[in-house]
Amino acid sequence: MNVFVLYLLLLKAVCTSFSGMASLPMVRNDFVVTRHILTDRQLNTAVVTGRTGPGPNGLYVVSVGYFVAGLPGAAAGLLALVTPAFLIIPMMRWVGDYAKIPRVRSAIRAVVLASAGLLIASSIPLAQDAVTGPLAVAIIIVSFLALTFTDVESWLVMIAAAALGVGVKLFS
Amino acid sequence: MAAPTLARLTGVFLRVGNTTFGGGPPIMAALQREFVEREKWLSQEDYALAFSLARVTPGTNVIAFCAATGAQILGIRGALAGAFTETVPSAALAVLMTQGYESWRTNPVVLAGVAATIAAVVGMMWSAVWWLVAPHWGGVHGSIRTVAITGGAFLALWKLGMSPLPIIGIAALAGLLWKEPAKQ
Repeated sequence: MNVFVLYLLLLKAVCTSFSGMASLPMVRNDFVVTRHILTDRQLNTAVVTGRTGPGPNGLYVVSVGYFVAGLPGAAAGLLALVTPAFLIIPMMRWVGDYAKIPRVRSAIRAVVLASAGLLIASSIPLAQDAVTGPLAVAIIIVSFLALTFTDVESWLVMIAAAALGVGVKLFS
Repeated sequence: MAAPTLARLTGVFLRVGNTTFGGGPPIMAALQREFVEREKWLSQEDYALAFSLARVTPGTNVIAFCAATGAQILGIRGALAGAFTETVPSAALAVLMTQGYESWRTNPVVLAGVAATIAAVVGMMWSAVWWLVAPHWGGVHGSIRTVAITGGAFLALWKLGMSPLPIIGIAALAGLLWKEPAKQ
């Protein structure tokens, strides 16, 4: 498949969704059902690899591009994923003009509080997956305390947790 | 605080965006800690504006969020740094993982490392909640407002299964109608 067409198809799927995985039905329709250039198994593998590594969930689009056209396809997938993000800049300028009005500021601060509630809700499925034993509980508590009450950098906490998990597995 | 250099901003996106497992919310939580609490390059209002607009931007929320925060800090250079630094290394890793999928997916040592990292991500997300809520806590009115909006958003997503977009819209409307106490 032509890489530019691949980019346009992936861009269409990404642009018509509002979260990382919401583009999946359209990708499946275009690549598996209509054009038969991807199998369901490949699509599932793309989704798993996209969700297992670090970074945004929408990265599965890069793996889809890779399956369809190799490394140029992966690059097309990456560009399709990133392109719509820049729409936020004009939106921010427009809204930002109103942000100094007290009632608008109050609304924005309410969104801060709502985002905290959304973060709690988003953390629950992760916590359910993560809590597999006392070690996981200890990691959750220690990382919370370290990141809340000390100045340690978050990536160091992530690396330390990964090293601990690997170490315990290797020596148990 | 003065704006950082492009290299410094890129370094933060690189570290946070590519070492944080669990998708968009953990990354946005980690960046809140870095940009608002540690470096003070953004105010809480800047963060909230980027967070809420990222939800209504087509595509992957967290990439729009990185473009927005990058733009707030360093303009278009920051936006490019945010969007691409957040995704390129993770995308390269995704391609490698796609190539080696069958061999690594059953490797218990790799899975143990990933599981431990996800546990740390949970702690990090709860820490971000703490930092987002703490400045609004205080006084009867402020505390009730904080609990009502935060708890309402949590319940709307967790118990009612609403999409985040209308939840943010309702919260913004609540904030317009229910003004925060003057001391804040």
